[in-house]
Amino acid sequence: MKDSLTLLSRIPAHPDSRCWFLAWNPTGTLLASCGGDRSIRIWGKEGDAWVCKSVLGEGHQRTIRKVAWSPCGNYLASASFDATTCIWKKNHEDFECVATLEGHENEVKSVAWAPSGSLLATCSRDKSVWVWEVDEEDEYECMSVLNSHTQDVKHVVWHPNQELLASASYDDTVKLYREEEDDWVCFSTLEGHESTVWSLAFDQSGERLASCSDDKTVRIWHQFNPGSEQGGAGSGTDPTWKCVCTLSGFHTRTVYDVAWCHLTGALATACGDDAIRVFEEEPLSDPQQPTFSLAAHMARAHSQDVNCVAWNPKEPGLLASCSDDGEMAFWKYQRPEAC
Amino acid sequence: MAAGGVRFGIGKPASLLQDCEWENAARQAAEGVKAGTCSILDVVETLGSPLKNEDPQVRAQGIQVLSEVLLQCYSLLQEQEVTHLVLFYENRLKDNHLVIPSVLQGLNALSKCVVLAAGLAVSVLKAIFQEVHVQSLLQLNRHTVYSIITNFMSNREAELKSLGADFTLGFIQVMDGEKDPRNLLIAFQIVRDIIVKGYALGPFAEELFEVTSCYFPIDFTPPSNDPHGIQREDLIFSLRAVLTSTTVFAEFLLPLLIEKIDSDVQSAKLDSLQTLTAVCKIYGHKELKEFLPSLWSSLRTEVFQTASEKIEAECLSALRALSACLSRLVLGSEDEDLLESFLRGVLQDCRHHLCEPDMKLVWPSAKLLQAAAGASLRAYYQITSSVLPLLLEQYAKHEQSSQHRTVLEVLLGFLELRQMWGPEEEDKSPLLSCKDSLCSIVFSALTEPNIQLQLVGIQVLTFLGSLQELLDLANVEKLADHFAQFILLEKDSQISLAAMDAAGTLAPIYPEVFSKCLVRRLSEALESELLEDGSSSHQKHLRALAAVSTHPSIVRETVPILLQHLQQIQKGKVPANNHSVVSVCHSLQQVALQCQQNAQTYWYFHQAVVPCLLGLAVQAALQENSHTTPGKVLLTEEALSSMVLVISAACMHLSPELAAQSVSKVIPLFLDGELSFLPGNNYSSPFQPFQDGPCPVAAQRKLVALLMAFVCSLPRTVAIPQQDRLLHELLALSYSCDCLFTATAAAKCFAGLINKYPEGPHLDQLLEIAIKMLEQGLNEGPYQHQALTLLLWVSKALLLRYHPLITQLTDKLLKLLGDTVLGPAAGDGFALLMADSTDVLGKSCHAEVRLMFRQRFFTDCVPQLVQCFHMAIPDVKPNYLKGLSHILNHLPKPVLVTELPTLLPLLLESLSCPDHIVQLSTLRCLQPLLLDAPHVMHLHIDTLVGKFLNLTDNPAMAIRIAALQCLHTLASLPTPVVIPFKPRVIRALAKPLDDKKRLVRKEAVLARGEWFLLGTPGR
Amino acid sequence: MVGPPGGGGGLENANPLVYPRPGERPTTAREQDEGLPDAIDGREVFDLIRGIHDPEHPLTLEELNVVEQVRVQVSDAENAVSVEFTPTIPHCSMATLIGLSIKVKLIRSLPERFKVDVHITPGTHASEHAVNKQLADKERVAAALENMHLLQVVNQCLSGRS
Repeated sequence: MKDSLTLLSRIPAHPDSRCWFLAWNPTGTLLASCGGDRSIRIWGKEGDAWVCKSVLGEGHQRTIRKVAWSPCGNYLASASFDATTCIWKKNHEDFECVATLEGHENEVKSVAWAPSGSLLATCSRDKSVWVWEVDEEDEYECMSVLNSHTQDVKHVVWHPNQELLASASYDDTVKLYREEEDDWVCFSTLEGHESTVWSLAFDQSGERLASCSDDKTVRIWHQFNPGSEQGGAGSGTDPTWKCVCTLSGFHTRTVYDVAWCHLTGALATACGDDAIRVFEEEPLSDPQQPTFSLAAHMARAHSQDVNCVAWNPKEPGLLASCSDDGEMAFWKYQRPEAC
Repeated sequence: MAAGGVRFGIGKPASLLQDCEWENAARQAAEGVKAGTCSILDVVETLGSPLKNEDPQVRAQGIQVLSEVLLQCYSLLQEQEVTHLVLFYENRLKDNHLVIPSVLQGLNALSKCVVLAAGLAVSVLKAIFQEVHVQSLLQLNRHTVYSIITNFMSNREAELKSLGADFTLGFIQVMDGEKDPRNLLIAFQIVRDIIVKGYALGPFAEELFEVTSCYFPIDFTPPSNDPHGIQREDLIFSLRAVLTSTTVFAEFLLPLLIEKIDSDVQSAKLDSLQTLTAVCKIYGHKELKEFLPSLWSSLRTEVFQTASEKIEAECLSALRALSACLSRLVLGSEDEDLLESFLRGVLQDCRHHLCEPDMKLVWPSAKLLQAAAGASLRAYYQITSSVLPLLLEQYAKHEQSSQHRTVLEVLLGFLELRQMWGPEEEDKSPLLSCKDSLCSIVFSALTEPNIQLQLVGIQVLTFLGSLQELLDLANVEKLADHFAQFILLEKDSQISLAAMDAAGTLAPIYPEVFSKCLVRRLSEALESELLEDGSSSHQKHLRALAAVSTHPSIVRETVPILLQHLQQIQKGKVPANNHSVVSVCHSLQQVALQCQQNAQTYWYFHQAVVPCLLGLAVQAALQENSHTTPGKVLLTEEALSSMVLVISAACMHLSPELAAQSVSKVIPLFLDGELSFLPGNNYSSPFQPFQDGPCPVAAQRKLVALLMAFVCSLPRTVAIPQQDRLLHELLALSYSCDCLFTATAAAKCFAGLINKYPEGPHLDQLLEIAIKMLEQGLNEGPYQHQALTLLLWVSKALLLRYHPLITQLTDKLLKLLGDTVLGPAAGDGFALLMADSTDVLGKSCHAEVRLMFRQRFFTDCVPQLVQCFHMAIPDVKPNYLKGLSHILNHLPKPVLVTELPTLLPLLLESLSCPDHIVQLSTLRCLQPLLLDAPHVMHLHIDTLVGKFLNLTDNPAMAIRIAALQCLHTLASLPTPVVIPFKPRVIRALAKPLDDKKRLVRKEAVLARGEWFLLGTPGR
Repeated sequence: MVGPPGGGGGLENANPLVYPRPGERPTTAREQDEGLPDAIDGREVFDLIRGIHDPEHPLTLEELNVVEQVRVQVSDAENAVSVEFTPTIPHCSMATLIGLSIKVKLIRSLPERFKVDVHITPGTHASEHAVNKQLADKERVAAALENMHLLQVVNQCLSGRS
């Protein structure tokens, strides 16, 4: 297990500030990073080294909390504490801010594109989740404001192939939304975490959702279709989601991020105890009650809190991470023989 | 120059003369006029054709030439000529706009003419007001207009005044819209003159106010590299002079000031408050009355809410000025007493906050009340008659010590204000009526177990005691008893020290009481603890004895007690150590300082102490060979050094007559072993300190230090018997004595005497001998270090009196810096040369110290030193930097700041010099300069940040600390200069936060905290 | 979260108890010895926060007993600092702001390897859980420090000017 996670390189991505988040473009050739220095940096590989291709500096007045690539890879959205979301259009190596989405009352905490590329979700400390529609002319219109959470919404993420949205909140819950007659509604609330839920990740199929929390656990939720045994007598046609596994006892502080590799199925976590961990599902475990084991544990992966982990979408086992120390690191993950 | 600015159209027939020819023509014409070979009218004639040319550019150039000529020779013109020219120029004002600048220049020249006929000034000004739209001209031309007006105002005042308010109106139109700071300075000056010299404002007072006050508050930042050197402050002061020049503006100015005080801009607040303070000097009842409520409300709000100490201080000054202004009013019988009603309002708004001693608003309220009360005795009486009883009541009402402390501190603030005015009939004073309850609460405060409260209590009592006849005898005795208890029993040193100070302050007023209640008890306490010598309470009592010796009668009681203590040590009656001798000597020294003003007491001290100390030391030195000598402790270097201080303090204030009397006994003691004037008569063997010889004599030789203390502290006019013999003995001792202490004392004594030695061949001869001996000593042998010490002290003695031989000695020192053995010590020696000498070569010892000896040394020595540095081999380079950093560290700041631009590169190099002493000394030199020469420092900000940060992980803790302190100070440079470095510095300072040494971490925390505050609100 | 200071409006806790303060930490010979490392201990961390000013009173947190040395836990070896603070009254609305000031001071002053936890002394405040949760949320702390008004109040508490 010792060598299952090896460091490839370490880069001071946002020196003098913290690095909050990383996002790979769909082809896995570019990595966007953002941080407390109010800038976004785009990294690409030259030879063996990752180099900064561009710096997007002028868009936001405050910390940039998260960034997200559109499914086509030509747009980048950024969520900032300045209460706005910027849309950047890629033009070769240059990026131009083509739209600024305003509306949230205070810090925007997360942004995510739907797989179709025509919808965008944002969330904020103002407790709301907004769904925006994108038209051909790069015009963005708010379709829906969802006020289901009772507290700060920390993260939004779309289902990998359906128009289904999940959000995580300071109110300790995860909520799921779908479209219904031109409006969006919350159809399910996943309760179980005992403190703030910081991040979410769907697996490749979209049947499972992993959530991580300030309660130092990661939970795996599974979708059960109506009528199935576990789906029970749920009302109507909505599937039900149930917690099928809780990873506890591994993390010693807040788990800030979770990433589910769509190529290998490995689950990586970023933790406030400076460590990165990778979990694998036991090969023979019951899919209804899976068990996960710790496949890799990099104790001092960074010198401060790890904020984000991101699997490269094309190259199996390539993991990027970033931290409060302003650095970004690249890791090679190899499934241990024993697993 | 001026003609060069005009360009001709190509091929135009009018361009008869080329640019340079115009200038030449003008110069020649001017020379002609000055020499009297032609008249100005001839010049006009020569220029005839260009002056009348149809092309305005050519006309402009023609007039330009004429104007240039006029500027050079206006003083030579005849009245008739001037009149013609004025009429010509006036007429030209109607000409094409291209011509106007040259016309104005000509008028400027003419406006300086003494022979200007009556009426012309007015007509010129009228023409300018009418024809010229001044604000559409270029800056330089506008400046010319202001100059013309200024000229006329200074030499045609009466004539201009005949224009009445039209002149004022005309000028208002001229300056309306002016934006250039250079022009504004002169325009403000004109407005001020209009007002101060009594030009008619007519109905235009408000317009005049508007046209100037629109610049208030001044918002101007000089561009970097501004060649004009106009600072923001220049404009502020100049505008303020206008706004505060008349009471006529009051009704407009006061609302403006109130508005700006209430604004969010700090600089606007400051400027407004300072302007308000200034204007209170000229305003009276009438101007202020209407605005008093709003002014008070703005000031109060500001003091209650501001985060800035500066703004708070300005608010309080403004309030004091207001109160002072209202106090000045002579009351008519039917006038309302504005002061009374104003203060009533202040009291109403602040008084109740004094009832909440835990709350934030206590102090702002107290400060407001104190500011208002501090304006006049009348204000003081009104405020305190309301506040003092209230505070006394609040004291009784609250129970916690901390509340008592706050109440008492506030109260003390009010009491101390009283010192601003001399004594007056006290029957009105509110203090009298509450004296008794005040005493009782203060005495009760002293018994509460809270140190801070007790400290305030002591201060209040000291104040009350210092007012003549306020306290009755019983209370004074009670007070002295309390002080005695604090001194004798209190463990906390803050309290006992405060009580000692207080006793020292009050003892001259109540000597009998303090003698009875304190001196006697201290003496008993010292007696009883003789056997547990060296304990901290013992030292405290010695210290207290000195502190209370502030009255002649008490000095005569305490000095014998202290001396007796030393005698007992010498006789071995008490177990003694260095420390006890040093403590007694410290006390004696303090007593000497305290009685230096009183000649009689001082002479008593001298006669009692000097022979006694010498006697004890000689006796100890003579006993030195017997094995069990209790007096040995008197001969340690530490003990002798403390006796040196006492003897010096006992001699430096003697009158020349008394000094001569005393020196005639001391010199024979050392040169001839004449012991008769010493107390006691049991001296076992002869005293021969200057005789060659082994061990026993070594102890006697050490006493040369005491001789030094005595003989070098005398006034310059006192003749020293056998001086030359003494000097030779000292010289011989200084470079050939094994004991460094003795050698140094001899060298210093020699230097001290040389410094005062009269100029002339005798002195030169002495110095020649000394230099010869020095050279021998420095070259070789076991006494190299002694020789270097002598060199340094003699150099210092000569440097201070500007003796020409100093250059020879400086050369030697510079050469020694390159010496691998003596170099480092020579480098350190520069500190000795530059520092203020506290002993033999100090001013207090009457040494000849010329002003600016440091600057002189700096100028003579540093260029050479820098040159040697560059040529030196790497091994010895640090010695030069060490020398340099010592010189710079002692240079007066203004000199250093001027020289800094050239020296800074070398200082920055010193920071990279591996020698720790150099690095440390350079950091300590740079740190204050960061504050004093920010303009120089900010040019090197990049290097400074880098080098300081580098030194934060230096192996030497002291350097890491000093580097962090520099980084801390760096944050106080102007924010725009340092803010670009903020992220880097904050990041880099994260590392020293984890330094292994706590003292380093502490500095890192402070520095980093300050950098975090940079550029953020709430700083 | 914070009202404007001053203005003479009624303050919540008009008469807090004020506690005497111990003196400065004396410098020991050990501390002056270049060679010997000084571990970061409870007193050192306490010294960092004792001088923070209460946003409402003209007093320090130490004088108000809001912070005490016994409620500071430090493990230099394990990079952990935990501070409990005690609001002057159970409904003190300034609790979050006081906690924030303590947290900010510690983050600015302690080596970055430390994990800093700031909590309310259990059982001493009505909204203990909510305040603790906010203080533990580094994202909200970061956002608060980008809010100029809050930053001003915190800086004033830290610099002792108010």
